[in-house]
Amino acid sequence: MSSDLEIYWRELVTAALLGTDRRQPPVASPGPVADLIDDAVRPDHASRMLAAVGSVAAARRAAFVAGPPAGQLQVPEPDERPSCSAAAVATWRTIVAEWPVLEDEWVLTVIQRGMRVPPDALVEQLQRHRRDATRRARVAIAGGPLAGWLTDHLPALGPTTRATASAEDVANLPELPVSPELTYLLTADAHTFVRRLAHGFDNGEFRAPHRAVLVNLFARCRPEVLANAASSFGSANVGLALALADLAGLRHRMLSELGVAI
Amino acid sequence: MTPDGIGAGDVGTSDGYREFVAELTRWTLEQVAAVAPSPRSVAAAESLAEPNRWSALGGDQRALWGRCRGSGAEPYDTVVDHVEVAWRCTCPSRKRPCKHALALLLLWVRGGVPDSAPPESVESWIDRRDRTAAGMASGSDAGPGESPPPPGAIGDEPPTDRDESPPTDRDDLDRSRDERVARMMEGLVALDRWLEDRMRTGLADPELARYATWDQLAARLVDARAGSLANRVRRLAGLVGASPDWHAEVLAELGLLHLIAEAGRRLPDLPGQLADAVATASGWQVRHADVLGGVPDTDEWFVAGRSDTREDRIEVRRLWLRGLQSGRWAMLLSFAAYQQSLDDSLTVGTVVHADLHRYPGGSLRALAGRRYADPLLFTTPVAVTIAEACDEIGRAVAAEPWLERYPSTVAATPSVLDRRWVITDSTGSLPLQVDDRVLGTLLASYAGIAASGQMLVDMTIEWTPWGVRLLTIHLPDRTLDLGPRADSSFVGVS
Repeated sequence: MSSDLEIYWRELVTAALLGTDRRQPPVASPGPVADLIDDAVRPDHASRMLAAVGSVAAARRAAFVAGPPAGQLQVPEPDERPSCSAAAVATWRTIVAEWPVLEDEWVLTVIQRGMRVPPDALVEQLQRHRRDATRRARVAIAGGPLAGWLTDHLPALGPTTRATASAEDVANLPELPVSPELTYLLTADAHTFVRRLAHGFDNGEFRAPHRAVLVNLFARCRPEVLANAASSFGSANVGLALALADLAGLRHRMLSELGVAI
Repeated sequence: MTPDGIGAGDVGTSDGYREFVAELTRWTLEQVAAVAPSPRSVAAAESLAEPNRWSALGGDQRALWGRCRGSGAEPYDTVVDHVEVAWRCTCPSRKRPCKHALALLLLWVRGGVPDSAPPESVESWIDRRDRTAAGMASGSDAGPGESPPPPGAIGDEPPTDRDESPPTDRDDLDRSRDERVARMMEGLVALDRWLEDRMRTGLADPELARYATWDQLAARLVDARAGSLANRVRRLAGLVGASPDWHAEVLAELGLLHLIAEAGRRLPDLPGQLADAVATASGWQVRHADVLGGVPDTDEWFVAGRSDTREDRIEVRRLWLRGLQSGRWAMLLSFAAYQQSLDDSLTVGTVVHADLHRYPGGSLRALAGRRYADPLLFTTPVAVTIAEACDEIGRAVAAEPWLERYPSTVAATPSVLDRRWVITDSTGSLPLQVDDRVLGTLLASYAGIAASGQMLVDMTIEWTPWGVRLLTIHLPDRTLDLGPRADSSFVGVS
C-alpha cells in the first residue's frame, strides 16, 4: 500500500473524528484516488468527505499484500514413537466428555505402549491439565519433545502451578475407592464379576448411591471382564446397569484401540 | 436446516402457480426468529407450536389465526398478519410478538396451519388495519407496540423467499417487484443521508455510542427490504469503542456502506454482473427456486473449510468449497436460530462430485444441487503461495470492496515476525488472528510435518477485513477442522 494513501487515510480519520462541520475534508494528493473523488460532483463537505472515505477504504482493502518472509522456527527433536490412531483420539474425546474416570488410563496406556499423542489432541491435553501437576507430567511424556517445544512457544499452554509430581504418581493409575465387599471383583474373572453384579441389580442391592463405587470398580477391574460386562448389562432394564455397560464398552474399546491384548 | 431451501416448482400450471405464490409468501424459520423479541421467546414458542395445543386453527394468504390453550382458564385468541407483519393476542404478555403469535408462525412455516376462510373477527381486524394504513400518509401500518420492523434481516445474505405481498397474477408480480425496487431505493437514499450526517457531526459524536442510533437505521433498512445492509449496520454498531483503533475501522465501514448505497442507486447503469453483485450486497432477495433453476456449476468440490459466526440472533455456517477442475471458490451458507441445527451434510476434507448453483453476479454464494456420488476423503489440496493468495484475495476485494470474507488454501509455515504470529513462505508472510488452541495445533502440526522432512503445511485460511483466520490444516493422513464453531448451547444437535 502506498504511503501517500496511508497518510491521506490518517488525515481522513482525523477529519472524520471532528466532523466536517468543524474541519474541512483533506485534499488527496494528485493521483487515481484524487481523480476518482473529483469525478463525483459533490455539493458540500460532508458528501465530498464520504466519497473520499469510500474510495480510500476500497483501495486500502484491495491493496492486500503480504509482509516480508519470516524466518523458519527451529523444530523440536524428532519423536520416533508412532502416533496413536485417529480412532483412539476420538475415543479420548468421548472419555473426556462422558467418562473422565478413564482419562488417566488412556494417557498411561499410550505411554506404556510406546506411542505418542497426535498434535491436535496434545494441544487440547496441555490446555486441559494446566493446573494438575501429575496429569500434566503424563501429558508431557506422551507428547514427547513436542510438548516442551509447544509450551516454550506458547506460554498459554504452560502450567499454572509450580507444584511437581512424584515419579510414582506419574507412572501409576490413581487408586479409586471400591467398597470392601466388592474389592474381590477387581481381580475376579468375567463369570464371577457379571454374576455378582447381576445379582445385585436383580435384588435391588445397587441403587443410585452405589454409582460412584461401581464406576470405580468398572474403571479398575480386569480388562478381560469388560466385554462380558458390556454385553450382559447392555440390555438391562436398570438405568445404572446400562450406564455401567456403556462404561465397560468404552473402556474395552479404548484398550483395544491402544493395542492392549485382552 | 440445510442450505437448500425451496425446490424449483412448476410455475406453468395453475396448481404450480398457486404453489409458487404460496412459496413466495410463506416465511422462513429465520424470519420468524428475526421478529422474536429474544431467542428465549422462540424457545418458549417451540413448545406451543404443536397442533394439539391449538383449536380453530386456520390461515389464508393474508393472516393466520387460532386459539391456543395456555396457562389461563380461557384459550388465547391469536391472530397474525403475515403480510403487513402485525399480531394480536388476548394473552397478558407485554412482549410483542408474544410466544403464541410466534408459535402460530412456526406452525405455519412447518405447514401445520390448514387453509381456510377467516372468521369474522379476523376479517374485521384486517379491514381495520387496512383502513388505518390507507388513512396514514406516512404509510406506517400499525399502532405503537403492535408491529416491529418486518423480517428478512438475518444473515448477511438471508435465505428468504418471501416477497412483498401475495401477488395473484403476472401483472401483480411485476407491480410488486417495482414497488419493492422503489422501496429499496428510498432506503438507499436514506442510508446515504444518514452517512453524510455522520460525516458532518463526526465520529466523536456521543450519538454513535448509543445502540439506538444504529438500530433505528437498521430498522429503516429492513423496512426497505435491504436486509444485508441492515446486518452490516448492526455489526458496525458493535465496532464502536471495541478497540483503540475503532474510529478507523468504523470509518472504513461507513465508506463501504456509502459505496454500496451509491452503486445501488445506479443499479440500472451498472454492467450486469456488477449490478447483480451490488443488488445482493444490498439485500435483494433471490428465490432459491430461481437460483436452482440456473446453469449448474458441476465439479469435484473439495470442502476446504468451515467457519461459524453468530450474527444477531442466528448462527451462520459458511462452508468453503473449491472446484478441483475449475479452481473456483464457492460458499454454502446455512443458518440456525436458537436450538436449530446447522447443516453438517458435508465434512471438511472430503470431495464431492456435485452441482452447485451460484447466486447472480458470479457470487461466491451457491446452493447445493444434485450429487453424483457420495463424498470421498481427499487429503491433497491444491495450495498456493502466500503472494498468490494475496493476489487472489486482492482481486476479489477490488471487484467487490464490500466483501467480508474470502478463502485461500496456502502452503506455509508458522513463524514470528515483529512479535506477531504469522504464516510465511519464501514469497511473504501474513499475520494470523487465531486463539491459542488453533495456534498450538498449527505449531504442533508443523513440527510433525517438519519431522518427516517437509517444511510447508497445507492450510485453508479465511481473509476478513479484521485479520486472517486459520480454518483447516490439511495433513497427509487427515484433516483438522479448526474453524470457529457455533456455540453448542445455542444450536441444537443435528
